[in-house]
Amino acid sequence: MEKIEKNAKQVIEKIKNLYGNSPDINTRLINIKGTNIGCIFLESSSSASTISDFIIKGIDYVAKKTIFDNIFEKLENKLFNSQLFTINDFSQFSYYLSSGFTIIVVDGNDKAIVMETRANLDRGVTESTSEPIIRGAKDSFTESHSKNLGLIRKRIKDPNLWFEEIKLGRRTQTRVSIAYINDIAEIKTVKKIKKALKKIDIDGILESGNLRDYLTTKSSVFPQLQSTERPDVACQSLLKGKIIVLVENTPFTLILPTVFIDFLHSSEDEYQKSASITFTRILRLIALIITIFTPAVYIAITTFDQNTIPDKLLISLAVQREGVPFPTSFEIIFLMIIFEILREGDMRIPSTMSASMSIVGALVLGQASVDAGIVSPISVIVVAITSICGLIFSDIDFTSGIRSWRFLFIIGSTLLGFIGILAVTIILIVKLVSLENLGTSYLSPFTPLNIKAQKDAVIKMSSTNIFDRPSYISKKNITKQKRKDD
Amino acid sequence: MKKAILITLICFFLCGCGNYSELNNLAIVTGVALDKKDDKYEVSVLIANSPKVDTSNKEGEAQTTVYSATGKTIPEAAQAVEQKSPTKLYFAHINVVIISEAIGKEGYLKTADWLIRTPQTRKRFYLLQAKDNKAKDIIKIISPLESFPSQNIKTLINTNRNSKSIATAVTYSNFIGRALEKGFDPVLSSITIHGDVKKGSKQDNLETTEPKTYLKLGPLALYKKGKLIGYTSSIDSQSINILRNETKEISYTLKYKNDYINIGSDQIKTKTTLKNPNTVDINVSGIGNIYSIGSDIKISDYKEIQKIEKKWNKQLKKDLEKIIKKLQTEYKTDVLGFGNKIYKQYPNKWKKLEKDWNDKYFKDVKVNINVDLKIATTGSLTETLKEANK
Repeated sequence: MEKIEKNAKQVIEKIKNLYGNSPDINTRLINIKGTNIGCIFLESSSSASTISDFIIKGIDYVAKKTIFDNIFEKLENKLFNSQLFTINDFSQFSYYLSSGFTIIVVDGNDKAIVMETRANLDRGVTESTSEPIIRGAKDSFTESHSKNLGLIRKRIKDPNLWFEEIKLGRRTQTRVSIAYINDIAEIKTVKKIKKALKKIDIDGILESGNLRDYLTTKSSVFPQLQSTERPDVACQSLLKGKIIVLVENTPFTLILPTVFIDFLHSSEDEYQKSASITFTRILRLIALIITIFTPAVYIAITTFDQNTIPDKLLISLAVQREGVPFPTSFEIIFLMIIFEILREGDMRIPSTMSASMSIVGALVLGQASVDAGIVSPISVIVVAITSICGLIFSDIDFTSGIRSWRFLFIIGSTLLGFIGILAVTIILIVKLVSLENLGTSYLSPFTPLNIKAQKDAVIKMSSTNIFDRPSYISKKNITKQKRKDD
Repeated sequence: MKKAILITLICFFLCGCGNYSELNNLAIVTGVALDKKDDKYEVSVLIANSPKVDTSNKEGEAQTTVYSATGKTIPEAAQAVEQKSPTKLYFAHINVVIISEAIGKEGYLKTADWLIRTPQTRKRFYLLQAKDNKAKDIIKIISPLESFPSQNIKTLINTNRNSKSIATAVTYSNFIGRALEKGFDPVLSSITIHGDVKKGSKQDNLETTEPKTYLKLGPLALYKKGKLIGYTSSIDSQSINILRNETKEISYTLKYKNDYINIGSDQIKTKTTLKNPNTVDINVSGIGNIYSIGSDIKISDYKEIQKIEKKWNKQLKKDLEKIIKKLQTEYKTDVLGFGNKIYKQYPNKWKKLEKDWNDKYFKDVKVNINVDLKIATTGSLTETLKEANK
């Protein structure tokens, strides 16, 4: 804690020095009957009209009516603003200034008034681009922290929805909020998250992705927390007893704890007919299996276990491979890498250039490489099927996790055929089963088996039949729907 | 993590057979023909995926090549073939194996060992008897309807077994199983070439609308104690197939009131039961329908149909009895497995009969045949055309 000078002029000088005389430091010194009143604000983050309308006018109004030497108290009471505090710590000045507050100091007082005069630097609430949906709320989180909190509050009006705020980052002083419903969420988990966050001592937190590594205990290529930019997804998770971590200046929030099956679910599942959702989920599961195993199985059956293929197909495959100079596994790895590069490129380049990219990609990958005899047509088909099935999952971390394992499977099957695939499968299962975050096993509700939670895991039963929240997330206050017979 | 590493290592060490090979380094054998040349055996293999010369061919269309070589034993001959083929012979996808008459007469079991013992082969391929031709020539004949000869033969057997019931589909393991079983003699479908062999193996054969050379399934080849003893006639082949309960569909031409009626059944069922060690009951039942009929018969009359039915049953019974008599006295081969039935039900009695079963005791078995076929439908017409015209 640093004391504030009693002289307004000196305070202004000190702040100017602190900011290295940056041009956006704006000060105003008003002299009323020999008493200096100093107004300090950052032009870049404050709204000039708010300052003129409410502060300068306010000071003028107060000064006219004040005879006695109690200007500070009068200002404190008379200035029009909902956010107005008194502080007596000079080290807090910079945080408030950067957040768009105006600081008012008065001669002879070692306190200062801070008043919110924030400029509107945020974009409005727009439609989500990373998680497009057909049915459901279209709004998404923005970069404004308070707006984000508001979007959640608006949906859950229960006062038990609690937010806890921590400022993280020595230099960025980023506001990070933990949101949870007090009587549903496991408080132990909330405490664990808070503890993990408080341990962070780093210069800057700019995005929720920065926190990812601090919130997981075991390393894995599979993501252990889900991120979303849609408030309705966040609220669904809150209602399940999960905990949301919101970070200032990013629309992406983190959902904890997350299990494997969550990545096979979509927020839309809650809004559509349960029978068709069951079908969709099974499709997703099949796609997951296809996208992990297809290239490896293809290599295994064409280079080790040819007798597993029907003879007509085998002859067709053999004829297609005629003249291809590379081993099958090389072909597959080559095409997979080219595809990953294409995908990465497609994500990064501006949309105006993506047309040329896709032409080159389609021609080079598909037609030309087959015609040139570098790869066989069937390999292109295998890679295409694999990639299409991999695109079903919207979470980019999950897709990347699958990708790494896919390559491991390819290596396994290149070395040993089906035995190699089996070996890697065992490792994959061991890895997944041993994964655990914040006291929740990653493969819940399958291991440990939770029969009640199966109602909304792979199959989705009608909402009229689901009365309880999944107990692997939180055991507190578990009933969510009143039973008919009660 | 340590456990994961350990498990991986165990997996890698436990397996010894990494038989890695790229597809284009394999010569996929889909047909094998076994012949006898003087004292030596000749093995011919049909390779389905010979590289196509012309790249403008349709994708996946393969051309076939036949390699053959001779040797003192079959494996030796196969080894010699392997020396001729630039790529590794791959036997897992054999569709058909054709054996020549000479090998059949010598006793096929003598040479059967090699294909069974090779771990690669699937043992579910068809075994066929080459009739009047060299087995090697048969796998050379190309057909315009199928992409390679072995596939052609396989389809031929499958369709003939189901619809015409002259042929019977005998897989390799089935044949050997039957040959080794007590009181059972195997049969094989025979196959012949119709037309000129040289022309049939050339691409020209495909370019005419009416191929001059084609393959034809012949009557059943009968085996006795593992040796070929002769062929039956086509009509007898059908009867044998009915008796062995191997067929579902039969067609029959019946002479009735100076006219021919074509009757068929597609749900025929035969049940053979052993009443006592000397008597066998055979029950043939099924539902038939009339395929075509002459003009003078009133089939709208139920009694008329019953008459036809009766005649058909009588005729079929006669045919079946005839072939059983032939088998018992002429061929002396128990392809119907009566001996096997005795062995299973009266094992003690079988011990006495076993030695001279084919030559002595088999012919003494009394057979009661009961044919009970019903005509259920008369096709799309309920009357004959003449009747309908009235």
